[in-house]
Amino acid sequence: MGEDCTRRRWLLRTAAAASGAYLGSARPVRAASAPATPVAVAKCKTYAAAELLPALNQMFDQLGGLARIVRGKTVALKINLTGSPTYRVGYLPLGDTHYTNPHMLAATVHLIGRAGARRIRILESPWSSSDPVEESLLQANWEPRDILNAAANVEFENTNCLGRGNKYVRFKVPFGGYMFPAYDLNHSYLDCDVFVSMAKLKEHETVGVTLSMKNCFGLAPCSIYGSNAGVDEPNEQAKGGRGLLHGGNRQPAKSSPPELDPKSPRWPGYRVPRIVVDLVAARPVDLAIVDGIRALAGGEGPWAPGIKPVRPGVLVAGTNPVNTDAVCMSIMGLDPMTDRGTPPFKKSNSDNMLRLAEDAGLGTRDLKRIEVIGTPVKDALFNYAAACEPAPRPSNA
Amino acid sequence: MDLKWTPMRWPTDWQDPSALALLKPTCVNYLVVEKTPVLDAVVAQAKTNGIEVGEAAAPPAEVTILQGEWPGVKLSPSGAKDVASAGPTGAPWVDSNGWKIRLTAAIQPDKTIWVYAAPKESQASRESYRMALADAGVSGGRWIISLDKHLVAAIGAGNPDALQTWDTISRAAGFMASHTSWSNYTPQAVVGVLSDFTGPNELNGTETLNLLARANEQYQIIPKNKASVSSFQGLRAVLYADADPPTADLKKEVIAFVEEGGMLIAGPNWGALPGRPAKYDDHPRYASRLLGKGKVQIAKADVDDPYVFANDAVILVSHRHDLVRFWNGGALESFLTVSPDRTRTLLQMIFFARELNGRVSAGGPEAASVRVVGRYRRAKLWTLDQSSPIDVQMDFEKDAVELHLPPISEYAAVELEV
Repeated sequence: MGEDCTRRRWLLRTAAAASGAYLGSARPVRAASAPATPVAVAKCKTYAAAELLPALNQMFDQLGGLARIVRGKTVALKINLTGSPTYRVGYLPLGDTHYTNPHMLAATVHLIGRAGARRIRILESPWSSSDPVEESLLQANWEPRDILNAAANVEFENTNCLGRGNKYVRFKVPFGGYMFPAYDLNHSYLDCDVFVSMAKLKEHETVGVTLSMKNCFGLAPCSIYGSNAGVDEPNEQAKGGRGLLHGGNRQPAKSSPPELDPKSPRWPGYRVPRIVVDLVAARPVDLAIVDGIRALAGGEGPWAPGIKPVRPGVLVAGTNPVNTDAVCMSIMGLDPMTDRGTPPFKKSNSDNMLRLAEDAGLGTRDLKRIEVIGTPVKDALFNYAAACEPAPRPSNA
Repeated sequence: MDLKWTPMRWPTDWQDPSALALLKPTCVNYLVVEKTPVLDAVVAQAKTNGIEVGEAAAPPAEVTILQGEWPGVKLSPSGAKDVASAGPTGAPWVDSNGWKIRLTAAIQPDKTIWVYAAPKESQASRESYRMALADAGVSGGRWIISLDKHLVAAIGAGNPDALQTWDTISRAAGFMASHTSWSNYTPQAVVGVLSDFTGPNELNGTETLNLLARANEQYQIIPKNKASVSSFQGLRAVLYADADPPTADLKKEVIAFVEEGGMLIAGPNWGALPGRPAKYDDHPRYASRLLGKGKVQIAKADVDDPYVFANDAVILVSHRHDLVRFWNGGALESFLTVSPDRTRTLLQMIFFARELNGRVSAGGPEAASVRVVGRYRRAKLWTLDQSSPIDVQMDFEKDAVELHLPPISEYAAVELEV
């Protein structure tokens, strides 16, 4: 099963950005010349179209224009619907905390359509489901038609399984991979000209932060990489999450490439950041959009202890996910140059996926090299750690 | 259905008629007793007190006693979700008598249904007793109050804590007894399950009911020998998974339902396929056909997994047609009914387990929300802890309302006024 994907275009692009040295190396190298591209930041307090559309439009213009990227193209847009659609943070709608916000999605789809995209395919691997994505959206109390009608030729696909494809596509990791040499993914990740990662501005219990790169963890279908994955072949009715990737208690379905080193550490803080980087390298992100209008601090979903809904009122976009995530971290009051043992990677005891991505030559995390356009970081700053601190007790005096 | 009785299994160890004083402030008015001379004095005094008495093997003529499960969930001590005691999704496995009561009521509509289910633990909690009462009461049945051995002994010894537990049980029973009119409300359903629920069809049929309840899909039970055109009124879909095809007359009625816009979801044993193949037909397990204004979904293989059948049905019908939608409800069961005059909609809910910070534990939710289809002007919340309901604020959507529930224990009911 699977079909080898020609990686020529991606390899050439990556080679142009990095020094040629790593192409000849089977291992990632610390790339001082890892790509640095501009990242746009905009303040946006609400999801009201009157405010959101102009803010998004301006950011895309600041990045050189959306038409340049999407005109005449098939755009695959990976959203972030992490966890069950019936699990909220308190009474808040999911899109106000840890899910992609439906207004954000509709606005982005509208702009992509207006910029001339030929087709827009919205992708997600919803929690424990191989059913149509629309069903998860309905359970979350969205109206999928609002998204489908936001532009011409819009569709959803569940990438937790084969979906509408008849075989998986094998995506080789260009630098050889940290954890797996290649990943078998839903056809939609190949059948596109442009790949967009749309994430929320969140911290993460396992890996410190979840932004445009970590959003790509959901590319891996649970049919092959989930707790309930098939042993020999994919299980097209797989339930549950990606425990296999988190903890490495078993290998994926035998029809897919096994781990490079089954003796490597089994703890999630080691595995997940590396798998994320593998996936981003194998399926590069052309446009990263991070929604920080309303988001979540302290963790990635309602199951994480100590979380708090926050309203940073900010949007971030870029054409390189590593650069974009680095700017996001700085807006969150976090240092993208830190690593395991220091916040935000201390509580999670995880390696910094931005550092791993930089080492693989995918992009720099060094803010000194990244141009921020639009709202300066200091004006967009929202301290996530402070947001989660307990309120001071009133003095007895 | 006559819910005039609140039955209790009288502990054989309570042989002194003075123990009947425990029943005085309660609604318990029927004792199920063992046939033994040691209880003769109790039986005589109970009858003098106006309490009816009978043996388990000889209930009143209008009563059917079901052998039930002790309702609740199987949880791991750690509260982890993905454990062997879980269902296919990793969600905790729920034992409930709701479907059994409703099935019996559908087959024997003139009977009053009692459920015999003894506590599993040697010392059941107050919460689990309340759940046993609610689990039966929601579906229009009555749990035969059965106390665990520890509680029997402790009450007998006058233990204050045990007497408090008894008070909790009797209050919950009193709540159910004071709302007998709710049993006359009409179930509101999205799907109807059409089966004879016997013989080779028993497992598939009954498990489908159980699993539809787990999926929170409002369902109607349609015994094949009682089915008529009116049975399908208001439904979005009819599910048929029996091993044998329906009779020609029944097929005709189901086809008429589909032609008017309904959906038939059936196993391959349905027989000759009606309608024409649908243009877009990409379901891995069902072949889709169009018939009149409706659709027919025929399984490509025998329906031998009720879990897959029930969950496929929910998706084929689509969550777009959910009558009730929950957030943060945990493992729950809900039952939506409407008053005979259609001025009040009642949503009864049993909460078996909740999830907090990624851990599953017994008990009701802290911050659940529920969306109910319809247009309402007022919502009142009933719980076992209150003698009168409280108003609940509604968030209005186009054709539905969303309610944010306060922290709830095992049971709650929302009464919505049109």
